[in-house]
Order: sequence, then C-alpha cells, then structure tokens
Amino acid sequence: MDPECSRLLPALCAVLADPRQPMTDDTCLEKLLDWFKTVTETESSLLLLQENPCLVELLSQALKFQDVSSRILSFSLRLAGIFAAQENCFQFLQQGELLLGLFGEAGPLGLPAWNVPSVRSGWIQGLCSLAKHPSAEQFLVDCGAVDTIFSLQEDSSLFVASAASQLLVQVLSLSIQGRATPQLGSSDGDWPSCAQSIVGYLEESLRSGATPQITQALKVLTTTFGRCHHSWTEALWMRLSPLVTCLLEKDTVPTAHSLADLFLSMARSPTFGSSDCDLWVTLAQTLSCLSPTQAGPLALGILKLHVCPQALKTQAFDVLLQPLACVLEAAAQVPGSSGLPDGTGSNPTMADALLASTSSCAALLCQSLAHLGELQALPHSPRPWPQVLLLEATMMTLRFCSGSAVPISSVGGRLCGILASCIRVQRAALDFLGMLSQGTGACEVSSSVMSHTPHPSSVPLHVLSGWDSADPWVPCFPEAQACTFPAGTWKFLGWGCWGVHPLASVPGPQESVTQVFAILLEYLRSPESSPTVLKKAFQATLRWLLSMSKACGSNNPDPHTQPFLRELFPVMQKRLCNPCWEVRDSALEFLTHLTTHWGGQPDFREALLASDVPELTQQLLQDPEAYVRASAVTAMGQLASQGLHATPSGPEHPGAKQKSLPQELLHILSLDSEGFPRRAVMQVFTQWLQDGHPAMAEDLEQFMARVFQVVSRDLDWEVRVQGLELARVFLAQTLGPPDCPYAVALPAATPPTSPAEVLRTLGRVQLLEFAFRALFDCDRPVAQKSCDLLLLLRARTAPGGGLQGAECNPEAVTVEAALRAWQAGEQGQPLGELVPEVVVAILRALDLEGLQATLAESSDHVEQSPRSLLQDMLAAVGALGGHEADCY
Amino acid sequence: PGSRLTPTGAGQDVGRSCILVSVAGKNVMLDCGMHMGFNDDRRFPDFSYITQNGRLTDFLDCVIISHFHLDHCGALPYFSEMVGYDGPIYMTPPTQAICPILLEDYRKIAVDKKGEANFFTSQMIKDCMKKVVAVHLHQTVQVDDELEIKAYYAGHVLGAAMFQIKVGSESVVYTGDYNMTPDRHLGAAWIDRCRPNLLITESTYATTIRDSKRCRERDFLKKVHETVERGGKVLIPVFALGRAQELCILLETFWERMNLKAPIYFSTGLTEKANHYYKLFITWTNQKIRKTFVQRNMFEFKHIKAFDRAFADNPGPMVVFATPGMLHAGQSLQIFRKWAGNEKNMVIMPGYCVQGTVGHKILSGQRKLEMEGRQVLEVKMQVEYMSFSAHADAKGIMQLIGQAEPEHVLLVHGEAKKMEFLKQKIEQEFRVNCYMPANGETVTLPTSPSIPVGISLGLLKREMAQGMLPDAKRPRLLQGTLIMKDSNFRLVSSEQALKELGLAEHQLRFTCRVHLHDARKEQETVMRVYSHLKSILKDHCVQHLPDGSVTVESILIQAAAHSEDPGTKVLLVSWTYQDEELGSYLTSLLKKGLPQAPS
Repeated sequence: MDPECSRLLPALCAVLADPRQPMTDDTCLEKLLDWFKTVTETESSLLLLQENPCLVELLSQALKFQDVSSRILSFSLRLAGIFAAQENCFQFLQQGELLLGLFGEAGPLGLPAWNVPSVRSGWIQGLCSLAKHPSAEQFLVDCGAVDTIFSLQEDSSLFVASAASQLLVQVLSLSIQGRATPQLGSSDGDWPSCAQSIVGYLEESLRSGATPQITQALKVLTTTFGRCHHSWTEALWMRLSPLVTCLLEKDTVPTAHSLADLFLSMARSPTFGSSDCDLWVTLAQTLSCLSPTQAGPLALGILKLHVCPQALKTQAFDVLLQPLACVLEAAAQVPGSSGLPDGTGSNPTMADALLASTSSCAALLCQSLAHLGELQALPHSPRPWPQVLLLEATMMTLRFCSGSAVPISSVGGRLCGILASCIRVQRAALDFLGMLSQGTGACEVSSSVMSHTPHPSSVPLHVLSGWDSADPWVPCFPEAQACTFPAGTWKFLGWGCWGVHPLASVPGPQESVTQVFAILLEYLRSPESSPTVLKKAFQATLRWLLSMSKACGSNNPDPHTQPFLRELFPVMQKRLCNPCWEVRDSALEFLTHLTTHWGGQPDFREALLASDVPELTQQLLQDPEAYVRASAVTAMGQLASQGLHATPSGPEHPGAKQKSLPQELLHILSLDSEGFPRRAVMQVFTQWLQDGHPAMAEDLEQFMARVFQVVSRDLDWEVRVQGLELARVFLAQTLGPPDCPYAVALPAATPPTSPAEVLRTLGRVQLLEFAFRALFDCDRPVAQKSCDLLLLLRARTAPGGGLQGAECNPEAVTVEAALRAWQAGEQGQPLGELVPEVVVAILRALDLEGLQATLAESSDHVEQSPRSLLQDMLAAVGALGGHEADCY
Repeated sequence: PGSRLTPTGAGQDVGRSCILVSVAGKNVMLDCGMHMGFNDDRRFPDFSYITQNGRLTDFLDCVIISHFHLDHCGALPYFSEMVGYDGPIYMTPPTQAICPILLEDYRKIAVDKKGEANFFTSQMIKDCMKKVVAVHLHQTVQVDDELEIKAYYAGHVLGAAMFQIKVGSESVVYTGDYNMTPDRHLGAAWIDRCRPNLLITESTYATTIRDSKRCRERDFLKKVHETVERGGKVLIPVFALGRAQELCILLETFWERMNLKAPIYFSTGLTEKANHYYKLFITWTNQKIRKTFVQRNMFEFKHIKAFDRAFADNPGPMVVFATPGMLHAGQSLQIFRKWAGNEKNMVIMPGYCVQGTVGHKILSGQRKLEMEGRQVLEVKMQVEYMSFSAHADAKGIMQLIGQAEPEHVLLVHGEAKKMEFLKQKIEQEFRVNCYMPANGETVTLPTSPSIPVGISLGLLKREMAQGMLPDAKRPRLLQGTLIMKDSNFRLVSSEQALKELGLAEHQLRFTCRVHLHDARKEQETVMRVYSHLKSILKDHCVQHLPDGSVTVESILIQAAAHSEDPGTKVLLVSWTYQDEELGSYLTSLLKKGLPQAPS
C-alpha cells in the first residue's frame, strides 16, 4: 500500500466510523472497496490489517452502534469479506469474533438497518468474498448463515435475491468439494451436513407448490449446473429430478422459463450433456408442453447445443418455424392443411396465438424471426436449412404488413388485418430477410441449387418428409408423395417438405431473388414506411446485393440485379429528399456502401449517373442536420473517389465539378459549425490521400498547407486528431515506402531523397507547426497522436547519425521558447518556416518518450488515484453538505 | 391485470434513473440514465435484470425518456446499440434534438480523458437517435393497439415532460424531473386530473421548501459582476447544453441592462446549435419569453461570443463558459489551471460534481491540488457553488399529487431519509398508499380493472318491460348469462345463450329420501301425504297425479316400500333449484311424520 494512503487511512476510518459524519456519496465507498480488492490481490490481508489497525477498529465499530448508517454497515460487511477471503486473515478476524459479530445471528440481522436492501446485499457480498476456503464453510454453519441465506432467496429486492442465490450455490459447492466424499447417493447421510441442509431446502421449495419458491430453487439449480461440472451435480440431479420433472405434469407450467433455463444449463454441462440420462426426453417433453412464446427461447437454446440428439433438434426447429408456417398456411388458398406430416408445419395452438391479437401475433413472429436469424448466423445452423420457404414466409409476412398481400383464405384476411402496418414485425422481418442473404442460404439461393427451388405460383411439389437429408434441396425419401398445385394455388406442406423433384420444371434462382428485391423496393418506395423500417430495408438491400455479388465471384453486382439498380436509384432520389433526417441519412449511408463496393462497375455507374443521386448528394452538403451533412460528405468523398460525383460533364468543361469538390469540403472544414461534417471531411481527405485521388494530387502541398492551417485551429479535438491522421499519411508518403512498408505512395509524389528535403516539405505544408502545437494540446488524444507522429518523424529524419542538429542556433532557441509557451498553455507565436537542422535539434531536445508515457495515462489519473480518493473523502466531511446530487 | 414497478436506478438514490414498469402486461422502461461517478459498467443500470429470458426487444414495449439530462438518458446508446434493444424510444422533440448533443459532448469528454472502457461511439449515438419517436405535448401516441402514452409539460429543462402510460383502464404517470414554479425561461409543470392508478414522482427536494431560484440568480449575477468589476476573470464550467443557456440568458440580460463591456465567451463551439434549438423550441419556454419573442429572441445573444483558446491569455476581465462541467478534462480544466493562481479570478460551479474530478476537489475546499508529475496547483481564485437545478420542492410535489389525484404514489430520485418523511406526509394528506422502493425492489399494485361487457337487446328489453327506467345514479342488478368469445364479454338471457352456443337445457333436481313408519300400502301412504300437505300448504298447488305421485309446484313426492322393513315406507322427494326453499321445508315437514289418521 502506498505509504501516503496508509497515512491517511486512520483519519478516514475514524470518519467512516463516526455516525455524526454521514457519508452521502456511495460511489466513494464503492471505489474504496475496489481499491482494497486490488490491494489484497497482491498483498497479504493479514499484514494489511496488522499494519493498519484502524481497519479492524472500523469493522468493530460497525457493530457497536445500533444506529450505524446502512451505508457504512454495508461497506463494513463487504470489506470484512474481502479481508477474510484469505484464510490466515479469516482466522485472525475470527479470533476477535469479529466475523461472527458481523455475519452471525447476533449481527446486523437484528438491527433496523437490516431492512435496507443494501445492507442485506453487503452481508451477502461479504460472505461471497469470504466463502473461498474450508474454514469458511464451518463458519457459515456455526453462525447460522445458511438459514439466513435461505430466507434471502425470496427477498423483496431482485438484487438481493439474485445474490443470495449465487451465494447458496457457492456454499453448496464449497461444502461438497471441500471434502473427499467418495460417492454421493440418495441417502441424507451421504451428503455433508451443510450440503444436506441446502438440498433439503431445495426439495422443500420444489415441493411447496408456490411459484416464487419453485422459481428460486430452479435458479439455484441452474447456476449450480452452469458453474459446477463435477460428478456430484449428477447425484444432486438424481435426488431432485422427480420433484423437478413433476412440475411439467401440471396443466400450465408455472415456472416455464426457469425450467427451460435449468434444462438448458444441464444440457450445456459436460456432466449431463454427454451422459446417457433422461435429459433429452425431459427437454422434448418440456418443448411440447410449453406455450408457443415460452417454447421459443428453449428451442433456440436446444438448437445452439453442440451435443444433442437430432430428433430433439428437429422438434426444436419445428417450434421456431411454426409461426412462419402459420403465415404460409394463411397465405395459401385452401384453408386448413392436408398432408401435413405430424409435428411439422403450423399447428392450431400456434394459429390461435397468432390470431389472438396484434400484440401476441407480433410477439410470436418477432421472436421467431429473431431466433431464426440468430440460428442462421451460427456455424452449426440446423441442416437442412429451409431457405426457400423461410424466404417465402418472410416475404409473405412483409406483404401482410404492407397490405400488398391479397389474402385468399379467411385466416389470411385476419392475419392481414392484424399485421397491417405493424412496424415491429416489419423491422424484424426485414432484419431476417437481410440475414437470409448470408451464409448457406444466399449462396444456395443464388447458385445452381436454386434451380430446384419451388415457387408458389406454379410449382409441382414433390412432398417429402424427414430430416436426414444432407442436401435440403434434393429429395431424400423414396416414398415421396407427389402433389401438384396449379398456378396460384400452392400451399405450404410443412417444413420437412422442401425436397423438389429434380426434373420438375421450376423457376430459376433469379425469380426468388427478384421477388426479394421486389419486396425490398416496395418497402423502400412506400410512403408508409417509417424511418426505422426504411433503415432496415436499406440494410437488407445492401446485404442481398453483397451476397449476390459474392455468389458471382467478383465485386460486380450480379448481372441480374441491374434492373433492380435501375429502379433503386429513382427511389433513392426520393429518399434523399425525405423530410426526416433519419431517412436522408440512412439513404446516404446506403449510397456510400453501394459506391464503395460497385463504384467501379460500369453498369452501376451508368445507372447511378443516369439518376439525380449525385447532384442530390452534393446538395445535402448544405443540409440543416449535421448528421446528414457528415454522411453527405462521406458519400461525396466516396463518389469522387470513383469519379462519380457529377453527371458526365460536357466536353467543353471536362472535370469542372471535380475540381470544386475539395474546395467545397475545405469550405465545410473551415465554416461548418458542427464537428461531424468537419470530421467527415478530414476522413475523406485522408482516404483520398491514401488512395492517391487525382483531386489531391494537383498542387498537393498547397492544398495540404491550407488543410493543416484550418484543422489546427479547429475547436473539436476529434477533428484535430483526424488532421494528425492526415498528417501521418502525408508524412509516410513523403518519407517514401522503403522505410514504411505500410504506406501507399502517391504515383505523383516522388519520395524525397534526403531527410532534409522531407523536413523542408513538411515545413512548407505547415505540418510541423501543426504537430508541434498539437503536442501540448489540452486534449490528450491530440497530444498523443502528435507525439506518435513526431516520434516517427524523429526516427526517420534524426536518428543517431544523419542530419546534424543545430542546438545553439538562435532559431532553435526561439522555437524552444515557443514550445515552452505552448506547453504552459499559452498561445505563443507561430513558428514560421523552420530549417531542417532546427527541426532535428528540437526533435532531439524534446523528451518525446517521456511525454508518450505520460499521455498514455488518462487525464484524470491523478484525481482517480486511491490517494486522491482518500483525500476527497476526508475533505468532503462537512464540506459537501449542501452539494447533494440532484441532476447533471 | 395490475401494475408492477421495479427501479434499477433512482430507487432511493439520485444517479441513473431507470425504472421498469409493467402496466396490464405492457412493459415500459422509464428513462435510461447514467452515473457519472463511475468509469466502468457501474455507470449504467444493470440491464441484465430486465429480462432473464428472451430478448430485450421482445420483452420491452417501449422506452420513454423524460428529459435530456444524462442521469436520465446517458445510457441510451449503450442500451440500444450495445445491449441490443431495438424497439421504439419516445421523447419530446426538444429532448430528441438536444439529447444527442449532450451524449456526444459526454462521449467526447470520456474519450478525451481516456481510461473509459466500453463506451459508445458517435455512430452509436446517431443510430440510437434514429430509433426515437417524437411525442408532442398532450398528444396521445399509440405505441401499439393497447398501449398509449401522453406527454405533459414538466418545466425543469427545455423539453422535459411527464408521461402518462395507459393500457385499457389502467394508467401510470411518471414525472421525470419537474418544477412547479416557473423560472426565467421555463414555465411550471402541469398535469390534468387524470387520476392515474399510480403516480411515480421524483423527490429530490422531498424535505426542502426551496428559496426562489431568482435569489440564486441574483446572487450569481452579483458575484460575476463583482469579479468582473475588480478586473478578474470568471470561469463557469458547464456541459454543452442546458444550464449553459440558462446562465447565458441571465448574463446577456444583465450585461444589456448594466451596459457592461467585459467579454463573455462560450468555449464549446456549440453555442450556435444550442441557441438554434432554444429558438426553435420557443413554445416550450415560458410565457414571458414567448411574448417578447416577436421583439427579441432571448436566445440571440449579442454579448456572448465564441471562445478561442488564445483569449484565455488576454489581459482584463472576462467571463468564459467552458466544457466539461466538472473540470475533469479538456478546455475548462486548462483554463482553470491558468487562472487558478490569481485571487481576483473566480470559478462558479453551477452543478453537482462527482468524486474523481477537479470540480469535486475544489468544492470540498481543497486548495492545493496535485497535478500530473507531482506538480501542485495552488488554488487562489474564489470557488463558488450554485445549484441551478429546478426540481419541485416538497410543496410542489404535494401540489402535483393534488392535481393528478392518483390512487397510489411512488417516490423515486431522492434520498431514502427524505423520502420517508415525504411518504408519511403524502399518506396523511391524501390518504393514498405511498411507496419508496429501493433499486431492485418490486412494488406490485393490484388494480380492479373495469371490463366492458355488452348486453343483449333482449335482456335489456326484458328489464325495460318490468317498467323500471334506467337511472345512472342507481345501479341495478341484472341477471343473465355471461358469454366470453374472442376476448369479448356479453351478457345475454340464458335462452339466448343456449341458442347461440347450441346447447340443450338441463334441469338440476335435488332429491331426498324420507322414511315414514307406516304399514299401509304405498297408495294409501301417498294419499295421507297428499291430504297432509293440502291442509298445510294452502297457498300452493298440491296435486295428486294419476301415476300415484304428489306434486307441490315443482316438487315431486313418490312412495315406495322399504326393502327390508315392511312397516316403513320410503318417500322420494325431488325438487328443482328454483324451489330449493320449499323443497327443504317439505322435507323437514315430512321428516316429522304424518298426523295420525282418524280411527
């Protein structure tokens, strides 16, 4: 411990122990505990207490006053626990009976302060810290703490009850693992007494018939099986399983979520997951008896398991698919299903739940879509993955929401009414639609496999059932039934039924993709689409375009998506003029992504330039909303990088507009009142410089000088940091590639041959002035960035040999004086043009390494130090009475 | 049905408001604040308690933000972009405009001073703000087909609102922070007599009767004026928006009135945007500002100029507003270091400072501050603390409860001891239950929901036929059969119910056996019973039927021989539930035996 802290401790302990000095700031006490925790991680707690007896005194004081403040009592309990975590210190505190006083029945349990949740929480946290060694277990039994922990399981505070549950697991584990019990059986005598009482408590709770008790017991078991993977957990389950499984036999399972959590926790445990127990049967039983909403998370959990019987996974997958099966069923012309294999497809309970109300329908669909999305992203997503039907169901859901579906059945009509304009479902469906573009799904959709894809309009489906097919698109069972539906009368026949006869005449992959793009366009175009829905539609569109492009094996958009792009840009035009800034911004972000990926592709360029999108984007540089201006800057930067930022100019003014864009961005950098657009401008300049953009190549030095001049005065430190990033790129390019393997050289910029020439160039572009000034910036990241930059410069231009410095040069003296002034926070005079020798001298004179080490710390590390904390707590006594927290 | 409420922040504390409320099954998060006193995840509420199962977006129906202060909205980007809430967020238009500025301002401070882990980015703030739906004052917004919310004016800061959350007949009002007395630029909070089931009110000044804010304003102006007059410089550390504008109005008006020449600077470069919003949302300010708006917009500052770092070294007096507000990084700290050594200068801290900041140190009276590299900064300048926060005091809170007339009151955003005092006062004065849960404690309020039931025309006509006209003041008992179909309730006549449901009518009969000592034949016993009943029940229709049984109304009596005892006859008595009383009477009568037959 820092000697200064040790010196301050007695006074602080005296203040804390004094009930007349109320400590109002909880954060200080929390930070104090953090500090003690850190100290005891590396030092002996016993030694700490022996060297600082005031701490023991503080702990004793906590029990002496009936009216001790709840804050201090809670703090003392937690502190005692931290110290007693080390066994020798535990013995030391035990000798003084301090621990018994604090945690025993005669302790705070009898005080009025026990009614305060933070005291109960402190008591639990103290024991949690303490219960780490064998001596602790006996102590817990002796002081009757276990009974108190039982009573706290149903505490009125969620935080306390949850912590008590964790503690119970810790004590159970400590009790069993602490001894070399060879085999735990079902008889009470086999179990250590402490563990026996805990198991007895759990049995009693499970038998109680009261939901809160059962839930809490199940939570304890969930945590136990989640944390402990020893064989004793199996013995524990053997004892409790009859009580737990009989909960499933009730008409409505009262603790469905907790049961699901428990079984999943067991399934994840190596003890149970791999053993030949009835767990899988229980999971299957649970899945079938839970309501659709309750079963969803369990089904997802099962599908995420690495080890699990296939049949159970099939059942779980069906649960997740059921809401979408209902949607497809509702979309079908013939109401009521025929030929649905058992256990797959929609079921009446699900249909009832979906049609009950908008809320329940939205909840079920959103849950299902989100869970399927989560599954789709997993490396071990269920196989076969019913890509085509999921696509159909998702698109149908979106059509129901937008009102573009023409329901044929009465169920469809009702669903249409329920989902009409339901933003929540629209968002979830668009999210999932976007995800369906990824991974196995999209590639397969876009590859040859899609040629087997059924289409609802005129598909002769060869219905199959079963799950064992390696390829989802190929029939796997010889007993497949063939059902043919005339155009427009297709119907959903269950999720296990997507095998298609290879000879069937089905539409190609493009038709499905076309449908996806059609629905996306519908949403992008619709005036009804809310800004959040539009954002999701943009995201989904981008994912599909990327996926199509990836499937084609190049960066070009899929050739079949050209018609889509031609329709997309007029929609974009509208969206760029939308009155909501959110929409304009999302559209610009989308445009930037599009251009980044396909800006070089001729068809894309043609479609884009045929629209007014580039002009509108340029106009948005003047948007009243800063976020939009920033996105417009980024989009324009990207368009310009690809030579797309203006309509094809006439032969008389070739490239006229291209010239003006850097100036326009410089204008924004100089005058925009907000940081976002200015930051965006700096990012564009940096990108252009890295890419060797022609706009930057022309009179680069003059342009850079102008930029550095402007950016060094910027009020936003993040813009200054961006400026230094630009300076770093410029420096790297000026220094040339051989020494800096990561730098990209400008084709036009010939690497200077000598360090002196480099320094002269940097001086001309005002980079040195900017960097030196930034070195003492009051905003730490700026100074740090500058320090890194100057270290790089010094390493390359003023290493041990090479250029000689001019330490005694009067110019160097002036510069050093200016730097000192800046360091003192004064403005000082501009440095003017610096000769290379002077720069080298300054670089050598500056303690850049020392500065770098200082800047690596946070700017408030002194105020945040333990010493400062102790000083603050002492100073606050009596001084902050009137300065209570109200609001920020 | 019923409401359930759990604060995960603001339960018996002031720091990071975050209250979960469940109204008739709809889950709403009220505020999503941060605690500036921590540098780690403890600064945000523990969202893991919201739902142990399932996704947040599925569980929560919406998030409502009462106003732009960071202890009410600071965790929002973390919650929506890092924890993963993807649902709607509701706030008023001024809050929607100002909130991202403050979040961005604080993000910059956090990143600037470094050492902050797991903090949100600029892009996250923007993406979070794209999820916001604006709610105008007194506009009822339908979150879904069952849940609706409505905003009321709360004073406190520009755009602050109280929200009513309503599901069917159940409603909860959340005040956020509010002020019941108008100040220089804002009006007083107001709510109609909405009689919510529960009013959740802040209680920062639960035990205080506060002096007028005008006194504090006068004091502030006096101190600034005195310092400037003696040639000193005044530093006012502020966050980018909010209090800064309030104080700017004060100084601007004062400078104008006193014709002062000392420059006033605003350092953040955000003045323009901030003032733009104050101008834009002029309707949210008080009446006086709105009235004078035509002649002069109070937020067009003539005397307040943008600050350049070079100005700090200028000689002579000046007033500078600089960020951040707690002197923990950046420009305000740099200026403070520069000016701290001169006793002519003054620093005015207009708000609370958390531990671990220079602001906290100087407010607790520390005058020798350790700086980086063991350097010591001696603070000679004057240090003043002035709280300009505008919360309702005890009187104001009582006034609001009186206005809204809630069934229950729940206190948040205050200290436990102060709440305890106010709780008693509320319970005494309004005779309502008052709760003050700590963080993590759940309060459950049972409510008696009124469920609308449709009555069939037939049933109504039958009632009307009885000649009694409906009277709103006299509730009447109406008997019928309640049918629940498609979540709708209807009361119909039993005949109609049978018809609609396609059910057959069944009669329920009670039966009883009575043993009589009578050696005569069954027919004779029956005749004796008939005669006996005929003589006793003169007002009832007693019949002897050809099949040998006796009926009295719906009651049927038959006699049979006892299987074992020929001297005993068994009377089988049966009756419908409508004649329950008569049936019981007859049974008891027969049990007494028959009168002796005349010999």
